[in-house]
Amino acid sequence: MVMPNSQVWSPWVIDDIHAKAELGRYRIRGFSTFQKVTHFDDLTFLSTGLTRFPLEGYKERCSTRTVLGARYAENPLALDTPIYITGMSYGALSANAKTALGRAATLTGTASCTGDGGMLDREREASEKLIYQVLPSRYGFDPRHLAQAQAIEIVVGQGAKPGTGGMLMGVKVLDEIAEMRDLPTGIDQRSPARHPDWLGPDDLAIKIEQLREATDWSVPVHVKLGACRVADDVKLAAKAGADAVVIDSMVAGTGASAEVLLDHSGIPTVPAIVMAREALRELGLYGKVSLIVSGGIRSGADAAKALALGADAVAIGIAALIALNCNREIPGSDFMAEVGVPAGRCHHCQTGRCPVGITTQDPDLMSRLDPDEGAERVANFINSMTMEMALLTRSLGKSDVHSLEPEDLAALTVEASAMSRIPLAGTNKVFGD
Amino acid sequence: MNRRLKDLASEGADVTVVNPGARHNTAVGLLHPCKIDIRGSVGYYSASLMDGPEVTIDGNAGWGLGENMMSGRIVLSRDAGASAASTIRGGEVFVGGNAGARAGISMKGGTLVVRGSAGFLTGFMMQKGRIIVCGDVGEAVGDSMYEGVIYVAGSIGSLGNDAVLEDVSEDELLDVWGTLESYGVEERPVFAKIVSGRRLYHLDSLERLEKSAI
Ligand SMILES: Cc1cc2nc3c(=O)[nH]c(=O)nc-3n(C[C@H](O)[C@H](O)[C@H](O)COP(=O)(O)O)c2cc1C
Ligand code: SF4
Repeated sequence: MVMPNSQVWSPWVIDDIHAKAELGRYRIRGFSTFQKVTHFDDLTFLSTGLTRFPLEGYKERCSTRTVLGARYAENPLALDTPIYITGMSYGALSANAKTALGRAATLTGTASCTGDGGMLDREREASEKLIYQVLPSRYGFDPRHLAQAQAIEIVVGQGAKPGTGGMLMGVKVLDEIAEMRDLPTGIDQRSPARHPDWLGPDDLAIKIEQLREATDWSVPVHVKLGACRVADDVKLAAKAGADAVVIDSMVAGTGASAEVLLDHSGIPTVPAIVMAREALRELGLYGKVSLIVSGGIRSGADAAKALALGADAVAIGIAALIALNCNREIPGSDFMAEVGVPAGRCHHCQTGRCPVGITTQDPDLMSRLDPDEGAERVANFINSMTMEMALLTRSLGKSDVHSLEPEDLAALTVEASAMSRIPLAGTNKVFGD
Repeated sequence: MNRRLKDLASEGADVTVVNPGARHNTAVGLLHPCKIDIRGSVGYYSASLMDGPEVTIDGNAGWGLGENMMSGRIVLSRDAGASAASTIRGGEVFVGGNAGARAGISMKGGTLVVRGSAGFLTGFMMQKGRIIVCGDVGEAVGDSMYEGVIYVAGSIGSLGNDAVLEDVSEDELLDVWGTLESYGVEERPVFAKIVSGRRLYHLDSLERLEKSAI
């Protein structure tokens, strides 16, 4: 008889202890958490029947236009879809990947975002709407790049590593990357966790004003937070004057993070959206301060559910990388040889050996990613997501994705009901209320 | 005021600002060489995010004086708050009095000169450039610095993680004295020199118990 393995001492736990016994430190890896958490699959839409009429896809349009950051900015970020490409650093990503993502954003009328390492010229040329990150490290930060940005994002934290700074292992801190970041070549880079020039929310208000003054109050200032104490953090960011808050959940992707943080800090995307929405509502700022969410958005359904829960837009990271062929054997790639696992199980972005040229600085590996082909694939994917959103929205009898609301949803599990404050399917009960 | 200053800066003008009222964000985002003379104290982030201007401030400054300057010069007559010259990538900042905590934090180039003393975590995670402190520095100076040099004439509260003392050569001393002279400082103190021990460069080259620092 074959016995099942222990649930406590699972093969994964055993392997983890073996790995740490050799390493003598915490483990670092890319991709995202491996924890099972409540996610968008635990919610479903209640499309129309006799109580509401659907819209006809072929003649009744559904708007996906999205305007972010109109609170104070003279030129808010106007997008053709509520989906944009999140900040991923040049360094974590190859130049070809950055360029492809920038072009894909332009092809779909949306935005892309820089990352912890500054603005790459090729990315700036490729992306018409580029969000410029202000991170604790300020690697490569240049006021001239700031002046060219269509929006600014102050990164307080990331969902994959809340409370710590970025990481880039020495294999990726090479030539142009080291130069752009003003770092010695080949060092294991640990970015600071705290901003160098402000500490608390009172200072943040002055910091936001500084960035506005530098850009003549023309572009929005976003504040990105790892989803932990969401309600209070969102209130503080909004009070400090943010035009938009970006909530990045524990499900969010990363190029490299300490595994202990990936798996054991933060809260999932679904409750994070709801908490952020309620926090803004309490301040009377819901609808005024834009709410952007990221972390595990994989499809138009996920994005639509995020909007129904209260978000104005979603940002995608790993999904865009998968569209670029992450975790897929392509001509010339060899996952087993490069990362020691088959395609589909790769989470090895931190090694710099990305078999498909996305998260690498190795010229041979990078050449496996053609920026034009990559841009087409990502643009197709974003377009598919946008169409899925519109389809779902019309099936709910609505002509604008921003009209999606919590009442359009039912929860499929008791946990999802409690976390989303949506009634459990088959009942009228919101659990946990 | 910043819009007006930007217009004047783009013409390369000499500008005098009177009664700045310790306002935050005075002279932010100026990207052209020009001369700005501020007569009075300023708040947070003064003369920050700039590339090229020469700014003199007759008074005190709040946090983040000169933050992320690319090139140019700032001469402050009195004390600076925390994070003076943080993340600067070039240019020079001279503080005539004392500087608060985290002076020169994450500097990526350029020079910070403090005539008096500087506070806790001076030069934290500094990457490049020079910090010259004529007085004392507080605890944890140069903590986790990557590259760059910190010169201290007075007492050192304590060295930060991976910060080490190194001998100062005569040429270096002459160079530092030359910098002081350019700001009218006549004393010629002997400086201790602090650099990175480079032990944090590679996580896996650390001894077992040292890894607690990462
Ligand atoms: C390869 C990679 C690099 C990243 N680099 C950054 C970065 O430089 N700055 C940042 O704020 N977030 C960074 N992130 C996090 C993303 O901005 C975003 O929060 C996350 O990817 C969203 O979750 P998702 O990947 O599930 O869509 C990175 C993510 C990935 C996958
Ligand atoms: S295929 Fe590349 S981008 Fe995808 S997980 Fe592996 S290393 Fe990271």
